[in-house]
Amino acid sequence: MPRLLLTGASGYIGQRLCTRAAERGWDIVVLGTAPVGGTIGRRFDWRLGEGAPAAAFAGVTAVVHLAHSWKSDGEPRAPFANLNLIGSERLARAALAAGVSRFVFASTTSARPQALNAYGQVKFALEELLRSLPAAADRVACARIGLVYGGPEQGQYGLLSRLVRLSPLLPMVAVERKVQPIHLDEVVAGLLALANGPCAPGGDATTAVSVLAGPVPISFGDWLRILRRAHTGKGLVLLPIPLWVALGACELTRLLPFVPTVDRERILGLAGTSPMESARDLAALGVEVVAPSRRLATSRAARRQMIAEARSMLSYVSGQRIPPRAAIARLVRAFDRSVAQPLWMPRFILNRPWLLRAFEPLRANADHGLAQRLHLSVMVAESIGDGEKPQGAISSLLGLGALEIAMLPFRATLGRIYA
Amino acid sequence: MSMTFDADCIVIGSGPAGVSVTSPLVQSGLQVLMLDGASDRSATHRGSPEPWQRMLGSELEALLPEDGLSPKLRTPAARQIMDAFQRANDIRGEGFVTIGSLGRGGLSRIWGGFVCEFDAQDIEGWPLSIEDLRRSYRTVTDRMGVSGSSSDEMAAFFGCSGEVLPALPIGPGAAHMLRRYRPGSQGHEFGLGIARNAILTLARDGRNACDLRNQCLWGCDRGAVYDARFDLDQLKRWSTFRLADNARVVRIAQARDGWQVLTEDGRTFAARRIMVAAGFLATAALVIPLLPNLPPELRLLNSPVLAMPLLVPARLGRPEPPKAFSLAQLGYRLQYGPAHLDYVSGAVYEIAGLPGSSFTARLPLGRRAGSAFFGAISSALLVSTGYFPGCESDNRLRWRRAGDAPSIVVHGHVSADLKVKADGVIRRLRKIWRKLGAFALPGAAMAKPGTDVHFGGLFPMGAPGPHGTDEMGEFVATPGIHAVDGSVLPTLPSKYVTLTIMANADRIGRRIAALPRAP
Repeated sequence: MPRLLLTGASGYIGQRLCTRAAERGWDIVVLGTAPVGGTIGRRFDWRLGEGAPAAAFAGVTAVVHLAHSWKSDGEPRAPFANLNLIGSERLARAALAAGVSRFVFASTTSARPQALNAYGQVKFALEELLRSLPAAADRVACARIGLVYGGPEQGQYGLLSRLVRLSPLLPMVAVERKVQPIHLDEVVAGLLALANGPCAPGGDATTAVSVLAGPVPISFGDWLRILRRAHTGKGLVLLPIPLWVALGACELTRLLPFVPTVDRERILGLAGTSPMESARDLAALGVEVVAPSRRLATSRAARRQMIAEARSMLSYVSGQRIPPRAAIARLVRAFDRSVAQPLWMPRFILNRPWLLRAFEPLRANADHGLAQRLHLSVMVAESIGDGEKPQGAISSLLGLGALEIAMLPFRATLGRIYA
Repeated sequence: MSMTFDADCIVIGSGPAGVSVTSPLVQSGLQVLMLDGASDRSATHRGSPEPWQRMLGSELEALLPEDGLSPKLRTPAARQIMDAFQRANDIRGEGFVTIGSLGRGGLSRIWGGFVCEFDAQDIEGWPLSIEDLRRSYRTVTDRMGVSGSSSDEMAAFFGCSGEVLPALPIGPGAAHMLRRYRPGSQGHEFGLGIARNAILTLARDGRNACDLRNQCLWGCDRGAVYDARFDLDQLKRWSTFRLADNARVVRIAQARDGWQVLTEDGRTFAARRIMVAAGFLATAALVIPLLPNLPPELRLLNSPVLAMPLLVPARLGRPEPPKAFSLAQLGYRLQYGPAHLDYVSGAVYEIAGLPGSSFTARLPLGRRAGSAFFGAISSALLVSTGYFPGCESDNRLRWRRAGDAPSIVVHGHVSADLKVKADGVIRRLRKIWRKLGAFALPGAAMAKPGTDVHFGGLFPMGAPGPHGTDEMGEFVATPGIHAVDGSVLPTLPSKYVTLTIMANADRIGRRIAALPRAP
């Protein structure tokens, strides 16, 4: 059985990595202090900066180094002064000397020499340092990880999740900045692929850097909106604020009692990201990234919304005020399989199904979101009863016809909203 | 010392061609082993209890977004059969819908049921005589059970080699049109009559007569509409016949004095003759790797099809009939050019029994109004289909080696002047239908190539070259390998092709049965 040595195993990524690696047949050894759940083989007491016991490396084929000391990011970035630099180098040297065939270092997409936050600068310096170690060639792999979401609400994901729940109106910096969300499980799959395979499967073998980040960057503002939809089912209005105001507010949270302190580093981290090409690395590692909006569609709020939309659409096309529950369930299953996410139509419309006719496109192509869903709704409506079609009286047909004509200008304009 | 064979002939596929070629072989005393990619267990979906299960499938497999397929290919059974085929084969279409079946009975479980014989002029250039083919038409027709008219204007066009059972009562809209039609009144280029369908109107062989319960589309639970599984039940009574279930063939290889086939689950079977009846595209995938010097691109015939919605105003406001069937009501032909094959033939269907969703999707109305509107007028709606001859298609099958099975892409095109011809035919038909009291609604359109299956001309009988076969469908380059399905038809007239595929397979079976036996 291949053996994996982990640091930072109690963190947001580390916990999931433990579980997944164990599932895939890795034997796991943990370096750290905090107890770790799940099936781990052995744990050795260790803190970043300390020397690891030699026994910890026995039989280890790969190391994944996730541990990071946030406190010491402010320390000077020269080697021998910063705890992250000292500790990581020490660990890597010991691992390489012990003969591990792969040392995977968790870096960040904000790693660059002139990064706004110290975190990005330190990670970049570390990448350089680790790759320059003797015998590092083909053994040290750096994974630049994007904005991770999913799983337990911890780390950056936990912070953003709490933030979007606060209020429908949120002052925020860097709303136009592009971020690259990637699901926790996808990151873990990428890290394990690196621990298992070549150092730079997609990229340049001499740099040994792989990017584990969503291949399609989206703006940070859109990301917050997606998160709020997923967690609360509601919309979000963002108030863009300049960076200096935000930093000032950070200082304020530090001074005020009873207000959670917002870390200046996090704000700078957000403001300093810029997208990195990742599709090639992900493909080479065999990591399939699912669009976040699709993944988050399984959240409870999204389920409720999907059901509400199915009920409303079925009611609209069938003319039944309360469609049978079983039929709604069938429609939801069809949505799950084809479109997979709700349209997030407001309750105001959904509670008045007759309003839906104003949002139908004039020319329905097969890809139009609402048209596609209504098509499925008609199929389900037809299967209620014995395939009977609604037999409209001529008078009600005339009424519907008049309504249809009155709707034309609305459909021409509103028809684009739920495309 | 020769190797031991599992049978005299191995037949690959249990569809209409497979059962038809097998029948004369087993009757002549030859040992036949049929390999089928499915089993009886996989053949569920014959009339489920709940309406929603029947229409959408118990796993909701037919509840899918609009994709332009014809209603008969959107039923749960059709989805199940075609999905299995797509999963099993590396066959893709570019501007072409690649349809095939991996299920007991093949595509005959989801066919339209229209049967029609080719005449002497239709098979001009084929290396066989019309008398020979007619003998097989009779055999096959009598086995299937076919109903229609044997005396109206179209009877001779559809052919009268076998017994024709009394016709079903046609729907009120179609009846309205037929009442107004006087034979010859629309010129000698046009003919109209009762459709010829493979529907039993008299019970036999454990199958019931049609009682107009209008479930044709979802799988007739009375067994009135023919499918190849009925023939398979008959074949199982012969001691010379054996059937291997779940034996999806992945490769055919030369063996000493014969051929060996390898199935997906690792079984091998050997025989002197292999009859490939896997259904056009799957047959191509099996045979192509065997043929030496085969060019990377082959021609493939397919009938371009035209659909035209019609409204019979006299039927507006009348109730839908309580009893009906939803297969073809009327059949027609229309000559559009000087050559014999320059004719369109097709059928008129009543819409009342079909699901409205595929029609309301095309209406320029909102869905609510569309559904209500459709419900109000569906009893007055009909649709006419029209097939052009295969020579109006210009499809290419490109293949390349990829492991054992080839990777196949079908590129769909139509001939350069089809648009002009189709416009002419549409204009002409509009005028004719109007005289018969049916008005063409906007939305007449040619379907995407491949949609209505009608394939032919890939390994033409009588053609020279590495893809050619002789009059027994046997490849010149690989004696002992026969293609016996639609892939060997040299030309494709506009007529419905299934009956001819079956008759040709029966004819090939008879020819092989008559060959001198090896000692």
